[in-house]
Amino acid sequence: MKYCDKCKISIKTNHDYCPLCHQTLEIKVKEEVVEKYPQYETNIRELKSITKRIMLFLSVTSIIILLITNAVTGFENLWSLIPIGSIIYFWLLMTVGIFSRHNIAFRIFILTITLIFLMYLIDESSGSEGWALDYVAPILLLSCNLAISFIIAIRKINYRDYISYLLLIVFFSIAPIILILFGVVEVLWPAITTLGVAVFILLFIIFFFPKSIKDEIKKRFHA
Amino acid sequence: MSNVAKNQDWFKLDNSAKIFPSVSNYKETNTFRVTISLTEKINPENLQKAVDIILERYPMFRVKLKKGLFWNYFDYNSKPFLIREMTYRICGEMNPKENNGYLFKVIYRNKDVAIEMFHSLADGGGVMMLLKSLVYEYLLLEGKNVKPDNLVLTKNEKPEYEEYEDANVKYYNKKNRKHVSEERAYRIKGTQIVDNNTGIISGILKTSEILKLSRENNMTITEYLASVLMYIIYKTQLQYRESIKSNQKPVKIFIPVNLRKHFPSKTLRNFTNFIKTKMYMNKPDITFEEIKKLVKKQFKQGIQKDELIRKMSENVAFEKNIFLRITPYFLKNFVLKIGYNMLGIKLNTMSLTNIGKFAFPESMKPYIVDLTATINAGRFNTVNCAVVSYEEKFKITFSRSIIETTIEKEFFRFLTSKGLEVEIESNFVEEYA
Repeated sequence: MKYCDKCKISIKTNHDYCPLCHQTLEIKVKEEVVEKYPQYETNIRELKSITKRIMLFLSVTSIIILLITNAVTGFENLWSLIPIGSIIYFWLLMTVGIFSRHNIAFRIFILTITLIFLMYLIDESSGSEGWALDYVAPILLLSCNLAISFIIAIRKINYRDYISYLLLIVFFSIAPIILILFGVVEVLWPAITTLGVAVFILLFIIFFFPKSIKDEIKKRFHA
Repeated sequence: MSNVAKNQDWFKLDNSAKIFPSVSNYKETNTFRVTISLTEKINPENLQKAVDIILERYPMFRVKLKKGLFWNYFDYNSKPFLIREMTYRICGEMNPKENNGYLFKVIYRNKDVAIEMFHSLADGGGVMMLLKSLVYEYLLLEGKNVKPDNLVLTKNEKPEYEEYEDANVKYYNKKNRKHVSEERAYRIKGTQIVDNNTGIISGILKTSEILKLSRENNMTITEYLASVLMYIIYKTQLQYRESIKSNQKPVKIFIPVNLRKHFPSKTLRNFTNFIKTKMYMNKPDITFEEIKKLVKKQFKQGIQKDELIRKMSENVAFEKNIFLRITPYFLKNFVLKIGYNMLGIKLNTMSLTNIGKFAFPESMKPYIVDLTATINAGRFNTVNCAVVSYEEKFKITFSRSIIETTIEKEFFRFLTSKGLEVEIESNFVEEYA
């Protein structure tokens, strides 16, 4: 027990000064005590952040160099968008895909949607042949649908966390059909297959797990 | 797909809880901590088991925060809850990614167990119940012969619906919801502690002594402490500095009121309102007597049922506003953030939380030393105060985000000058500030 004769308070501590007035404490009873609060520790996450910083530095400088080179060679051909898009997608893959603690359905969902964008970008800046929207987009949506359904089927406990993303991706699977209606896409079979599978999954949920959909809608839309 | 769905496993946020997710960040964390010191060193294994048992009993704490289109909601959390060792960080941000999504933490160190709670989930009253149950189950696992005596909720009882109702809405009165606008409060200035660390200074008093002192002044303990705080703020921050512009603002102390004492409700969620003491301190000759008189009057006005219902209804009416309801959440979030930063937080100089008396069953008392309540101190409310009492130990804990300890020093010197014995505890934030 120590004592501060200025503040007239007693304190149990190994420190030598009064926390109130910062004057020296008078020792009444000499004893070794366990402090009530732990010691300060510096952050031990330095190493990880240094790798991250190097990667970030390289990415930003590459993007700038690519842009400058593209500008020098003329802006008619926007070839630099392909590597720049890939660099950004790489970061997304790292942060959302691998190092994120979000649930897996969310990660797959985000990566699918952005990958479709990237593919569209590559297609557009390399001759606009239309393969991205004709084939890649529907097939990616289809595989995302199947992936999330598969995950739900094997990891039963967490299905509540995943179901909203499954519903979202089912909803997104209508997009290729809409593109067909507007005449943007001409190849029919990938879009129709995707929609078919999506409708099948939706009906499966509606018939076998009606409560899960009802609950999910109630939760997400309560006002 | 499995059968986790029990009768209810998701909850709407209650009225007071809705604001916190939007306005909390690493500076204003809106978390608070209640620590209990036991007589023996904590056994982490048994503590973990006790927490797992308790989570079964309290389904409303077994949740994570999820976003909906219009409002957030608490959804059942299937991930395991892990206790952790205490770190130097006090009432830090409740990061859902670090904590398996849980909105509270159970931490231990030496002989102490603490619950750190995000204010959205529960208030002091709810944490009090949770902590009691936790310690009860822990002591049972340690092989102690303890009995609940109807003071502790144990694993054998079934959770009741009333425990997670939104009691604010229950007492909402459409006719009594007049909005009273408030002005900004005086802010205690100081040097920021680096890295958003919090300084803690607690004073342990004898309950009988402080009670006697308050009674001599014809006041309740909370009223007396509020008056002393007002007086100390005046003495250390404002006196003889009347001409400075920022000192024209009133000193306001925010005092949460546990509404369970005024309205029947068993809820474990937020059910608090507040009283505010307010005084313009731009005169050189304010006496302690004057402050006491004013505080007593303001308490009397603030605690009236009509006034409490008005404040409650004002908030509920805001939530029930049809335009706000149909706004998507990301826009609402924006509005709440701006509104709170402009007004909410700047209406108080400091807050004084009296969690009150912890009543434990006779059989548990031999194992318990004392309790500490701590609230977060942010950028605007730089010094905050929390009070809790257990038997003869009456603990006043100041948390601060500034280095200066003037208020704490003068506050405890004031009490010792009245002949009270004070023992201090501190985290010595000076060592790394």
